[in-house]
Amino acid sequence: MTQDTRAQEFVNSFERLRAEVEKVIVGHREIINHVLIGMFSGGHVLLEGVPGLGKTLLIKTLADGLELSFSRIQFTPDLMPADIIGTNIIVEDADGRKHFQFQQGPIFAHILLADEINRATPKTQSALLEGMQEASVTVGGVSRPLPAPFFVLATQNPIEMEGTYPLPEAQLDRFLLKLRVRYPAIEELNTIIDRTTQARTVSVEQVMSGARVLAYRELIREVPIADHVRALASTIIMATHPLWQQAPEVTRRFVRYGASPRGAQALVLGAKVRALTEGRFNVSVEDLRALATPALRHRIILNFEGEAEGIDTDTLIAQIVESAEAVTAQGKEAFVR
Amino acid sequence: MANSDTLERLVRRVSAQVRRRRVEYYTLRGAFWGSLVAVALLIFKAPLAGWAVWLAAGAVGVGAIAGALWGGLKRTSTADAARLADRAWGLQDRVATVMEWAGHPDRTPLVDALIADTLSRVERLEPRAAARRLVPRDGRLLPVPLALAVVLALAPAIPVPSGRLPDFSSGAEEEQPEQRAASTMTDDRSRPATRDRLKPLSFEEKEFATRSGGTGAAMSGDLSAVFKDTALSAQRPDFQSFLKKGDERLKLLEQADRLPDLQSDFTTSQYKMMFKKSKALSGGMRPDQISPQKLKELLEEMERLGRKGGSTWQGDAAEGMEAMEGGQPDRAMEAMQRALEKMRAQEEASRSGKNLKGGRESSRAGASRDRRGAGGEGGGPDDQDFGEGEGMLPGKGRSNSPKGEATQRLRGNPYDVGVEGESRRGRKEGYDTNMTGRAGQMGSRLQYLGVIGQYRKMMEDAIARESVPRDFHAQIKDYFQALDER
Repeated sequence: MTQDTRAQEFVNSFERLRAEVEKVIVGHREIINHVLIGMFSGGHVLLEGVPGLGKTLLIKTLADGLELSFSRIQFTPDLMPADIIGTNIIVEDADGRKHFQFQQGPIFAHILLADEINRATPKTQSALLEGMQEASVTVGGVSRPLPAPFFVLATQNPIEMEGTYPLPEAQLDRFLLKLRVRYPAIEELNTIIDRTTQARTVSVEQVMSGARVLAYRELIREVPIADHVRALASTIIMATHPLWQQAPEVTRRFVRYGASPRGAQALVLGAKVRALTEGRFNVSVEDLRALATPALRHRIILNFEGEAEGIDTDTLIAQIVESAEAVTAQGKEAFVR
Repeated sequence: MANSDTLERLVRRVSAQVRRRRVEYYTLRGAFWGSLVAVALLIFKAPLAGWAVWLAAGAVGVGAIAGALWGGLKRTSTADAARLADRAWGLQDRVATVMEWAGHPDRTPLVDALIADTLSRVERLEPRAAARRLVPRDGRLLPVPLALAVVLALAPAIPVPSGRLPDFSSGAEEEQPEQRAASTMTDDRSRPATRDRLKPLSFEEKEFATRSGGTGAAMSGDLSAVFKDTALSAQRPDFQSFLKKGDERLKLLEQADRLPDLQSDFTTSQYKMMFKKSKALSGGMRPDQISPQKLKELLEEMERLGRKGGSTWQGDAAEGMEAMEGGQPDRAMEAMQRALEKMRAQEEASRSGKNLKGGRESSRAGASRDRRGAGGEGGGPDDQDFGEGEGMLPGKGRSNSPKGEATQRLRGNPYDVGVEGESRRGRKEGYDTNMTGRAGQMGSRLQYLGVIGQYRKMMEDAIARESVPRDFHAQIKDYFQALDER
């Protein structure tokens, strides 16, 4: 099978999976695309939005469309780390001897839905850290691998809401993308009403296996990226740091901490998936522009001034990308250089 | 395979376009600067005669050619040309990626697919200008010096001033060359002489010349005469004679310390202050027309003053307040009148001969009198000795301050600062304190900007640590911003 065919097969699978999800989810095309981009990049995705916008339903539908195990954890303030990871319990064998046996927690699944993740305490939220980064968990000194592919899809309510605990920065950084689920348009709302208030039920077909997902992840890493595009990605990341010499004014004024190298990885990997889904075999500047906001919005910590001024991170990132393009060769006329 | 003819042709084509655009760009710039040189040459074309026009035209031409050469010789990198091609034809960085990855050691199988895809797209491309024409700012301004150069070329030559200044001394002014020759400061005087021709002799100069008494060296318009005129510097206004003839009030100014301190006398009189307020409150009104709130405030103030000790009106003020609370304004007014009467009586009593203030000097005299009384005759601060059980402890012994006892001086001088306080009504115990005296009316001298900076930083830290609810952030920021603006 040639690479061209494999790439084409990926594009077809991607579109089929998206079509399956769209059988249930109305609108939110960009959100669905980004969730799939996150999954094929090998990262985890955080969805933020007020209750009732279909975040959980989207993830459940995606799990239905994949031949993968799925578990859901409803995060509550009294949830403990052991409730997620699992614990050693004493069991008695046929001979009457007692020994410890590890009882797996719900994290041992291919797709994990961490619903309303910011309703649990930071201690419990942090229970996911090792699993998300290393794809394994350690209990009682024993490291246990998680099934591959392992994909965490978390939802959270806006942190201004009552009874929420903001995710620690380390936890946030482990999410490849953070997506903001917005209210549907009126036409979409009409369709939602029609679909959800009638007797007809929609069934979602399984269109992709776990092995296929892993193969696509390998394929995606082969997508070439030109030097100037990679330089732009690095410049965007550096431009989020207020101490960088060439940082734009908005960063110096409103940003406390910029994006980490994980942010650069997320940006480039996401851009590679997007390039393939757009029928391209190379990463372009357009891909970086499209992925910059979801890949960086949770990695930029605003300072007091930014918080007080009510600066929108998405707008800030757009300005940062613009200034990064001006800094690199991308924004200059070739013949005056 | 990667550097196929198709892609290389495309890149070469784009490079050639870039070179052309550069030539245009730098030719315009060169022509602009050359035309500036041409304008300069044409301004001074008189000494150059017929050569000027040719030289000017040559300058423009040389500038343009130099610019064109510079633009044409600049190298265009393949990567730049590839990127430009990508942008011009919307190839989304395909060409640039192919040019880089074709010979890349980590070339992946997907690169082959990319190359094939790019080639197929490039072959279908329509010819188009990849590099857009860019007119430099200098180029946009080029018509201005060019037009100027043409005008200057057609116009007659501008006379070039010679190194010599015009000889204004040859005019029909009444200047005396012999006198000038007699002076040793010829060079210095030449400038005023020139000015004289342009301007009539000024009043001051005439005066100086006259006052000098015709000593020879000074002449009309000679400013240096001012420095030689010792008679002028000797003349000073005779203030003594002015004082003799002048107003008697001027004498008073010599004895500023004897002036009665009217302001101090008035503001320190509690009775007068309260009387003034009560008059303002009840002037031309019946008791039922008076605002109960204002009456209550007045009574509260009287009661507060009465609490300071030695007062006889505190009971009346308290009675008035009770009457107010009981809804009896008539009784309250009567109580207020009684309190005022008592205040006046106390004021009268305190205005005995020795306490009457005659000004700062008398108060100083009074203070020294007191000191003498306390420390013995002729006892200066150094001569004083502490008696049995006396010392420097608070409340013990005599004050050795040359100004006298602080308690006695309280409110005696408007510059004295005092603090008075009263308990605040409310759920929690609290006190309101106010400074008295002139200092209380002045603005704060504390450099609070420095303190505010510290507080602001602490506030920012607190907000950054999420210990302040998000809804309050804007409010807190507004507060500190308001302080900054003061």
